[in-house]
Amino acid sequence: MREPDSEVIQRVLKGETGAFDVLVQQYQQEIYRLAYRMTRNAEDAQDLAQEAFVQAYRSLGSFRGLSRFSTWLYRIAMNLCLNHLKSTARQDPSEVDGNLADQRADSLATLLAGERDRALAEGIEALPPQQKATLTLRVHQGLSHREIAGILDCSEGTAKANYFHAVRALQRKLQAFQKVS
Amino acid sequence: MNDCETIRDQLVAHHEGELGEGERRLVEAHLSACPDCVRDAGLIREALARVETLPVPEPPVGSWQAFEVAVRRRIAGEAPPRPGLWGRLIAPLHGLFLLRPVPALAAATALGLLLAVGLVRTQRSPRDVPPAEVLVFNEDLAIGQNLEVLESLDFLEDIEVLERLDVLQKLDGGRRPRLS
Repeated sequence: MREPDSEVIQRVLKGETGAFDVLVQQYQQEIYRLAYRMTRNAEDAQDLAQEAFVQAYRSLGSFRGLSRFSTWLYRIAMNLCLNHLKSTARQDPSEVDGNLADQRADSLATLLAGERDRALAEGIEALPPQQKATLTLRVHQGLSHREIAGILDCSEGTAKANYFHAVRALQRKLQAFQKVS
Repeated sequence: MNDCETIRDQLVAHHEGELGEGERRLVEAHLSACPDCVRDAGLIREALARVETLPVPEPPVGSWQAFEVAVRRRIAGEAPPRPGLWGRLIAPLHGLFLLRPVPALAAATALGLLLAVGLVRTQRSPRDVPPAEVLVFNEDLAIGQNLEVLESLDFLEDIEVLERLDVLQKLDGGRRPRLS
């Protein structure tokens, strides 16, 4: 059975710094995926995920343990991703995830499905960062609007509105794709 | 704004189960007679399902080990983390709350009930200040007594406590929530 995060954290705080490896092993893939979904760049995602763990280590003493450690870690990672998006020029949507269609293109149906995925990936890339973050935390991490509001430092109403706008934008993207194809 | 526009603005909330009973019925009545809005609702479902399954490229084999090594190397140069004020306050209770959550929860519930009964019986004056260890141990009760203020806080760490309070408030017929 996996050792509870709270116990691992206590071990780290008592000076057993090597125990932090347990948290890294537990969450590295999740944090990498979250960062990838925000940046659509594997290398940036690895760097951001690494930085998230280093920052988490530095701030571990301030973690109060009233929320899940993973939620606290998402907040650190998401702040890093949002800062990264601010500091880098937006990618040309036409260049985003060009391999998405290829990954599933073993028949006409899957080719079309791949094209729809690509249209959606472009739609996600075009979302404002806060909407993209909200969508990722809701769809992939399964967080509540209240948890998302806590992570993104906004009201619950704003988190909901961002999510609704993001989904509507993607729905319109699919609609436009249907008309074209 | 015509009916369809109004309904389309509510389709995501409908999909999420966020609408009240009245709004939900209105949306569903409209959907039963409007193929265009049914199509939009279908696209919302499809968009969310596809977003969920969009692939994330896995790093090459061995990358995760390299990742761990890189993190380990970077934190080796850092000062070891030390518990903050909060950590130091709860440290004596750690064995009770964190290592044995079930008995701890039962103990916290029992203490909370005792305190609640004590408060009612003694009709404590507002100037009475409970001992510091009770304040820490019984933090959730204090949260319940000041729910309005706390609901406006956006501290991440309070979120799960507040969510539990919402549930407890419902279970308790809308009365002041208690730790359980």
